[in-house]
Amino acid sequence: MTTASRQTSPRKFPLVPVIFGAVAVALVVTIILTFDSGTVEAFGTPVVTGEALAPLGDGVDAAVGQMAPSVAGENFTGDAVTITNDGRPKMIILLAHWCPHCQNEVPVVQAWLDAGQLPAGVDIYSVATGTSSTRENYPPQTWLEREGWTPPVIADDQAYTVGDAFGLTAFPFWVFVNADGTVAARTTGELSPAVITQIVQSLVSG
Amino acid sequence: MTVNTVSTFFAVGTILLGAGLITLALLWAASLVSDRAAAVLEAVAASFDGLGLRLAWVMAVTATLGSLYYSQVAHFIPCEFCWYQRIAMYPLSVILGIAVFRRDESIRRYVLPLAVIGGGLSTYHYLIQQFPNLEVGACSTIVPCTTAWVWKFDFVSIPLMALASFGTIVAVLLLDRPSRRSPAATMEPTTHQEAM
Repeated sequence: MTTASRQTSPRKFPLVPVIFGAVAVALVVTIILTFDSGTVEAFGTPVVTGEALAPLGDGVDAAVGQMAPSVAGENFTGDAVTITNDGRPKMIILLAHWCPHCQNEVPVVQAWLDAGQLPAGVDIYSVATGTSSTRENYPPQTWLEREGWTPPVIADDQAYTVGDAFGLTAFPFWVFVNADGTVAARTTGELSPAVITQIVQSLVSG
Repeated sequence: MTVNTVSTFFAVGTILLGAGLITLALLWAASLVSDRAAAVLEAVAASFDGLGLRLAWVMAVTATLGSLYYSQVAHFIPCEFCWYQRIAMYPLSVILGIAVFRRDESIRRYVLPLAVIGGGLSTYHYLIQQFPNLEVGACSTIVPCTTAWVWKFDFVSIPLMALASFGTIVAVLLLDRPSRRSPAATMEPTTHQEAM
């Protein structure tokens, strides 16, 4: 940059072609990445019967004592899974694949099950809801398989019908149901094995 | 065209912009110690002559439309921090547009603070997405700022897209400053250093 001529006309890069080139590259990369992403079926077509529970709020849970709704759905391989008033106490955990607290809780619950902590008379169900293909850790079935998740899973639909029926407000969402089909308790967040054991024991002892 | 396709396009664009911004930042740092790097930076800046306002406007409009796509078409609910970033971005698409047509270079003084504040908000939002466990023990279904609606390539989320947009607006306005334009011959070759 010593001569006057170079100072008056500094070297330039062809900026506009570079910008259009970058946009073209982004388009091509997008087409390549999304062309054959396969059709992973992460949603089901569950049918809910019975009255939906109110969304869980702060304070006393009005849904306690109310009959829990019944759900007839399918797992990710198309096998029927039904949550209904069958005279057995049950615990239902609603999970979202993208939620870090669900990601933490799944191995905790699985270890609790593997340790034989679930009483013989109590059933456990899970619901994969809040599912979104744009979000982290998608699809949910890959995640649950990786974690060696053994409880039956109902795949919720895109309207999150099952989540709404149980009054889901946060993940993970827990619903504990008495043997007579009424809601014993609902709560959100990560529960420790000791707390899960305590609640489930109270279901058994009625 | 699915939300996934659009998100992938935005994510690839974010990575390209981010790569460009990081390259520019490194070039600027190198220009402080190397004449050769300084000459390259000068050439880069010269390439932006007269284009800064227009490019910043295109970036702001793209970011605004992307944001509206996510809330109005994809039905993602904007969280609190999304709104703060929208407050910083949306006006830019209007005032930069007016400035482009009026050739009003003084708009920089108004745009740069907004874009820098917006970039700061995006950075904080991105960090709480990366470290969500700093917050409470459950993921709200309502308006969770800590959980990402979009998570492409394991690191690109909407606030990162916003950060790249704010960063691009700042960068192109700093690169194309009227003071560094003609008469170029009167400029000292070293004045480029204050450009970034």
